[in-house]
Amino acid sequence: MQADVTNECQCSAATGAVLAGECQGTAATDVTGAVLVLGGGIAGIQASLDLANSGQKVYLVERSPAIGGNMARLDKTFPTNDCSMCILSPKVVECGRHLNVDLITLGEVTELTGKAGKFTARVRKRARYVDQDACTGCGACLESCPTQCQPRFDTQRDLPVLSAEHTALLDGLVETHGHSQAALLPILQEINEICRYLPQEMVIHVADRLDVPVSEIYRIGTFYTAFSFEPRGEHTISVCTGTACHIKGAPKLIAELNRELGIGVGGTTEDGRFTLEGVRCLGCCALAPVVKIGGRIYGGVKVREIAKILKDY
Amino acid sequence: MKRVLSTQELEQLRSSICSERDVSRPCIAVCGGSGCLATGGHGVVEALRDEITATGLADRVDLRLTGCHGLCECGPLVVLYPSKVFYQRVQTEDAQAIVANATGDSDTIERLLYVDPNSGERSVSEDEIPFYRRQQRLVFGNNGLIDPTRIEDYLAIGGYSAFTKALSGMSPQDVVSEVTDAGLRGRGGGGFPTGWKWEAAQEEEGDVKYVICNADEGDPGAYMDRSLMEGNPHSVLEGMMIGAYAIGASEGYVYIRTEYPLAVERLEIAIEQAREIGLMGEGILGTDFAFDVHISQGSGAFVCGESSALIASIEGKPGEPRAKHVHMSESGLWGKPTTLNNVETWANVPVIIGKGAEWFAAIGTEKSKGTKVFSLVGNVKNSGLVEVPMGITLGEIVNEIGGGVPEGHELKAVQTGGPSGGCIPADLMHLTVDFDSLTEAGSMMGSGGMIVMDDTACMVDVARYFVEFLVEESCGKCSSCREGLRHMYAVLSRICLGEGRAGDIELLEDLCEVIGSASLCGLGTSAPNPVLSTLRYFRDEYEAHIERKQCPAKVCRSLLTYTIDPEACVGCTACRKACSVEAITGERKEAHALDAELCIQCGQCFEVCRFDAVKVS
Repeated sequence: MQADVTNECQCSAATGAVLAGECQGTAATDVTGAVLVLGGGIAGIQASLDLANSGQKVYLVERSPAIGGNMARLDKTFPTNDCSMCILSPKVVECGRHLNVDLITLGEVTELTGKAGKFTARVRKRARYVDQDACTGCGACLESCPTQCQPRFDTQRDLPVLSAEHTALLDGLVETHGHSQAALLPILQEINEICRYLPQEMVIHVADRLDVPVSEIYRIGTFYTAFSFEPRGEHTISVCTGTACHIKGAPKLIAELNRELGIGVGGTTEDGRFTLEGVRCLGCCALAPVVKIGGRIYGGVKVREIAKILKDY
Repeated sequence: MKRVLSTQELEQLRSSICSERDVSRPCIAVCGGSGCLATGGHGVVEALRDEITATGLADRVDLRLTGCHGLCECGPLVVLYPSKVFYQRVQTEDAQAIVANATGDSDTIERLLYVDPNSGERSVSEDEIPFYRRQQRLVFGNNGLIDPTRIEDYLAIGGYSAFTKALSGMSPQDVVSEVTDAGLRGRGGGGFPTGWKWEAAQEEEGDVKYVICNADEGDPGAYMDRSLMEGNPHSVLEGMMIGAYAIGASEGYVYIRTEYPLAVERLEIAIEQAREIGLMGEGILGTDFAFDVHISQGSGAFVCGESSALIASIEGKPGEPRAKHVHMSESGLWGKPTTLNNVETWANVPVIIGKGAEWFAAIGTEKSKGTKVFSLVGNVKNSGLVEVPMGITLGEIVNEIGGGVPEGHELKAVQTGGPSGGCIPADLMHLTVDFDSLTEAGSMMGSGGMIVMDDTACMVDVARYFVEFLVEESCGKCSSCREGLRHMYAVLSRICLGEGRAGDIELLEDLCEVIGSASLCGLGTSAPNPVLSTLRYFRDEYEAHIERKQCPAKVCRSLLTYTIDPEACVGCTACRKACSVEAITGERKEAHALDAELCIQCGQCFEVCRFDAVKVS
């Protein structure tokens, strides 16, 4: 998805350059001396520099927090096999320092009015939560932050290509449930049921078909506990942690399962056979404590029975 | 099945179903509730079916898989009709004897009868069992009589007659005022008068309106709604149809937890049957009333039981509640007027319309009418689902219906209202069960979870348990709830670990006040209840944990030390075998020893010792 976004920006950047070209045909009084460039990838950067060097004031709008785009992620550049960063970084630095270039990062154009030569653009700038004038980029805050957010969708990883069978499956699900946002949850539920988790390539395909951002699916997937973005084991062991089960010894069952399987709650065994999870009440409270493996419910489970139950699988 | 086009045709169908049935023909009813199925109900049904086929009695005996009977503790349950003989803990081996008994070829099977754990009395029929005797089962009673997958069974006991009564003889205003007069209040926990809700939605202009059934039964320890949907799905649908007719809605949604696959399956079957017979769809029973129901499944978020979060979830968004200055009756699902009620509330509607507001209002107390289904679970002898008239005391439910706590233990508290409720101590068992008196005692009626706790439950641990639950289930929108609960959890955890500090109790009280007053939805505002109620009634337990580093109930592992009394130990090696960390040593027939350094306080040795030689302090 990230790649798609950047591609879109590069196209827009090219459009920005075209707009500047058209301006030359109109009367000098109708032309503002400023150009808006959309997208801070290599195309946008180069266009901005060329324009700025020819005396135009440039506003470079980029959606992500920094300019550089996809080229910054590449090792070599086709067809010369030149080092990408060696080409890009001087341009990035020049762009950042050029007096004629105003960088608007974390920005998105929401509205564009006017005609060639005299456009008015409305740009929505999202908060950075850091005072850019005061920040020296020393990196100290980064090191001392207690939490680290790993990007869930790693755009640098090669995604498995969606098989024809899976594409057909997903398209079938979209047909059944419709294209609205309300269809999103039922579709995700079915994927989760079939694959036992939400594979990244499927999520991207669904986002594409329903025209919702991948980030929205990620938000939903992390909000509802039934979904997982990590592959789950062949058998899911759900220990009921409802109140009745809690007071009748569910914590002891979990401790025993932790020990027996060598995984914590939410973990999956290395051989991919079991995933252990705590579930908020299975609704069999009279049988407390309850453990569910796959579709089978075990009631009144005792700690010493755990090993025996696991042997069934 | 043939589509019925008018009320008369439906009545004809009903009488033809009834006339085909012979009430004196023996019927073996096996409980198909989740509890009985989990303890082997499927196997029992198969064995009975095989037995009937093998003996060639298929034309003399009926076999029916019914809804939940309520006494889940003793499952799998089998009831014989028409004699009403009640068998419990039935195993597959009993099939032959049961079939023989059903056909009258043999006598009652004594060993399968229910024996009261307190008096030792044997009960032959369901009505004689103390568990059932004190109940009044308005909405739950039909569960045991019908096969939930057959609409014919529901029609045979008078199903959908309340709907036809409303549709053919009452105006929508009449229906609303009937529900208002009955004094029905929301069974999901809030206790808001249902009639008022309906009236507001009815008065709204608009051609598109919705009714929603909240079946996101998230309270841990409560499973009444599950059993209703699994055992009598048509009664819920009938309630929704009456509600839709009253407010002028043409579409309904049932929002159901993903943890209840059987309930989803049975509702789907019921909806399909209602459509087939013409009770749902366009032009129902020849009138211009149109109505259809869809099922929407949750994905494991407790907060989605909150009405506005539930609606967000149906719309395909994360279930975050919104401020309620705009009422659901004005702008609910997709911005349209919406009426949302809980499963049990909907199931009460056909009863009210069928028997009249006056009849219904005669049951219960002045401000709380009708009955309430509770899931009576925890440390109690007869756990299961009970339906009692409002106004019964807690003590009657726990001791008379539930049979009290297990032998050798003392009742400590009853927890009601799930994570939004509180713990009511044993000396308040005279309290009546209704919306108002439980709130006064610092708890709430809630959706109906009633967890009985004896002296083996640590109240600090219980409070910590609920706060942990809420930390995970808070949607994170309000910082008071998100951060406040997290801090409260940290404080409670350290108290349970024996690291509590002086001033922690006051800190908890402060946090409770802020969380309760600064949060948006019901989850946050009621989140302090488990802590406040345990602080109110069991402050000494908190003090024991903090000041003396003791857990009186012997639950908090870090505060326990296990030792073996060499005098009492006979050297049976049971504890040595049970110990997973090899902390126990000793030869057979010699006193064992426990290495406190290695011990992880799992309590296994304590549980397996039959000679009381393992001591906890």
